[in-house]
Amino acid sequence: MTTIAPPINVRRGAARWWRDYISMLRWHLASLRMWFVTLTVVQVLTGAGFVLGISLFFKHIPVRAALFASTGVPVLNLLMVGLILGPQLVADQKANGSQEYLRTIPVGRLATAGAWYTVCLAGGVPAMVVSLLVAWLRYDIPLHVSVMIVPAIALTTFTGAMFGYALAHAIVNPMATRLITQLLVFVIFGFAPILFPIAQMPRWLGTLNWWFPFRHMAVVIRAALTSGPNSAVLAAYGVLGAWSVLCAALAGRALGRRA
Amino acid sequence: MIPSELRSGAGYWIASLRAMLRFDYGRMRAWAAMLVLIQTMMGAGMALLYGFFYPHITPFRALYITTGAPTLALIPLGFVMLPGSVGQQKIEGTFDYIWALPAPRSAQATSTFLLYALLALPGTVLALLVAAWRYGVHLSPSPLLLPAVLLCALMAIAVGYGMALAISDPLVTNLVTNALMFVVLLFSPIVYPPSQLPGWLFAIHRVLPFYNMAVAIRAGLTAGVETQVMTSFLVLAAWTVAGCSVIAWIVTRRR
Repeated sequence: MTTIAPPINVRRGAARWWRDYISMLRWHLASLRMWFVTLTVVQVLTGAGFVLGISLFFKHIPVRAALFASTGVPVLNLLMVGLILGPQLVADQKANGSQEYLRTIPVGRLATAGAWYTVCLAGGVPAMVVSLLVAWLRYDIPLHVSVMIVPAIALTTFTGAMFGYALAHAIVNPMATRLITQLLVFVIFGFAPILFPIAQMPRWLGTLNWWFPFRHMAVVIRAALTSGPNSAVLAAYGVLGAWSVLCAALAGRALGRRA
Repeated sequence: MIPSELRSGAGYWIASLRAMLRFDYGRMRAWAAMLVLIQTMMGAGMALLYGFFYPHITPFRALYITTGAPTLALIPLGFVMLPGSVGQQKIEGTFDYIWALPAPRSAQATSTFLLYALLALPGTVLALLVAAWRYGVHLSPSPLLLPAVLLCALMAIAVGYGMALAISDPLVTNLVTNALMFVVLLFSPIVYPPSQLPGWLFAIHRVLPFYNMAVAIRAGLTAGVETQVMTSFLVLAAWTVAGCSVIAWIVTRRR
């Protein structure tokens, strides 16, 4: 029998959370639709393209340069959706009103953020695998994938997604969002030691990078992909963890704020 | 009241151009500083950034990076920012509004053209200065530099504007410009010699504008590095004409 009376019991708990999470995930995927496919293709092309293109900078590319570029490109792949596309999507949502609509949906912040995090992973990990495969085929670099790749991917993507979320809600003007994300692309490509050894940039810039998450993302991902001890990994996890907590708190506040 | 006769003639065109320049500048003013800053960062920043990728910067590499810097500053302005701004105008509806203004469309297009050309120069010069300072390269500029930079700026703006007008969906424009930047920054012999490219890729770059921009500007900054300058100037001129033709074709047609 159906009834039009409001439900007597407010549903809560894990089952409710899971249902919310699934609906938000479906909402995200449905609203991205074709874009998600395009995005995946673009991600794969840029990742593989960069891995191949870096060799054009040199007459004969040194193995070390190839290794750094090949293990740095996965970081860019993981950041692209959460950090770069995310803020632009939120800016679009603000412009077309769907941001307001989303606020009215009775879904918890955690489910909303969790669904978006899943989208970021789905948009990043396949491209990362392809980039690594291309790098391995092209340069025959010595890759040793360890179990630590799982937390490295999880934390890198999470920090990127939350950073993007916090940024998107902090900036009001869509034009400013576009400019700042383009600036971020620039920073993660060339002014953070992701694609090349830190010794190749000025010392002060390397030190400055210690306070930002991007350098540490490269450290944890690279450590999980290559063999040999790396003393910086523990500190990198620490800094990344701090950034992820900070950004998640900011993003949570932005998501829960009443208009 | 409707004017009894149609206004036309050179005087009216110049008055329209002046009005459009004021209109465009007024809209752009809030962003002009930001645009110059970004363009400078792109040009100067790219020049610094390429250096980070090399373990050792030999004098040869330094020379190529430094003389490629002005090209790196011109490309994003014409091929990314201008199409992006037109795309934004299309989304906001400003684009249709401007076309509905009683000013000749050729005056409207010229105004956009002039403003962006002016905007392009400070960033280009600064990119060169920053690169020369960073890598300590000794340059020997020749009078050829002026026509080279002007032609490159004209070409970049003409092709970028033509592209922005020709593609109706701003999202497609955005995708195309981003893909272009990626190809240009990685796969174009601007900051490295073309001998590092596979033959087929170099053959493509001979007809595309990017490598030829770098050749023309490098020829104006150095002596004896570039030899086939005339071909590059011709290719750039051809692209400028093509860009202008597309602009002319689109602004004169009715929807």
